[in-house]
Amino acid sequence: MSTQQNPSVYAQCIQYQLSDIVSVPVYANFNRNWATEPQFLTWNLRNVHQPVYTGQDQNNKGIDRPIFQINVFSKDMDTAFNLSNTILQSLHGYSGMFGNPATNGFWLAKADVFWLYNTYDNEIKLHQIVLDCQLDVLT
Amino acid sequence: MALIDKVLAGYTATLWMQDDVTPTPLTDAQLSTWTAQVANIVGTTAGGTGTAGMAVPVEAIPAFGADDAVASYSVAGARTGAKITTQNQVTSMNITCAWNPADPAMLQIRDDGYGGVTVRTYVVAVYDGTDTVAYAFNAMVGGMQWDMSPSAEGKFMFTLHPVGGNSYGWTTNS
Repeated sequence: MSTQQNPSVYAQCIQYQLSDIVSVPVYANFNRNWATEPQFLTWNLRNVHQPVYTGQDQNNKGIDRPIFQINVFSKDMDTAFNLSNTILQSLHGYSGMFGNPATNGFWLAKADVFWLYNTYDNEIKLHQIVLDCQLDVLT
Repeated sequence: MALIDKVLAGYTATLWMQDDVTPTPLTDAQLSTWTAQVANIVGTTAGGTGTAGMAVPVEAIPAFGADDAVASYSVAGARTGAKITTQNQVTSMNITCAWNPADPAMLQIRDDGYGGVTVRTYVVAVYDGTDTVAYAFNAMVGGMQWDMSPSAEGKFMFTLHPVGGNSYGWTTNS
């Protein structure tokens, strides 16, 4: 039994948390102008969904398990792997405060990181590593 | 319209319960009476008045109705035999809720199950936006379990065991 969560809060907390983990720029979505930077991250939020259960009560829902994708960009492959490892070490299996505790940070039950693949984009001359992170959010 | 006359989505079904800590369950006759009886337990969102009931936020309404019940006999060495239909028992319902320790209905069910003596009237209401068909029965709570699987919300599961073969009734609002 719970109300629908606000994905805007997720977005702000993802931005805060990633910026807290790494010391390189963190952006929501990709902009090719950033390809001039030697290393940076982008993220995209998706799969925001609380299961809905029977009846006319709109608040009869379960927990949200949204996923955000992290794209790690770097001019050299080694940096990309090490940046990704930093995220993996910090986020995978993490349970605790997520986001800025002074504003809209919330207690996260679990963060689950899945390293998808690494690749190279010849057009922008950047190595790239793609990770998915699923959040179990209490409601 | 006397009854809902359309094919319904299963999603239209809800579960309601008497909200008193020590309720007086409806009599057999009252379980088959909509006005001022079953209607009081069903909330306004499902076509009732909700003055004496509250919703139980269940994931899905399990199959409800009556169990199959027969008395059968056979004669050794012969093909003779028969199944004789007997008074069917009201079926038990295995319920799963997303566990919310602040929900008053779940807390009451937990107390009932812990105490083990409370008989309460429960109603399954099926509502099409205008009319309601309700299945009311008296039951006790048993088999409470909490399943905290790490890949989804925690579940609160329990079984409603109906009391007495005749303590159920069908009603409609019109």
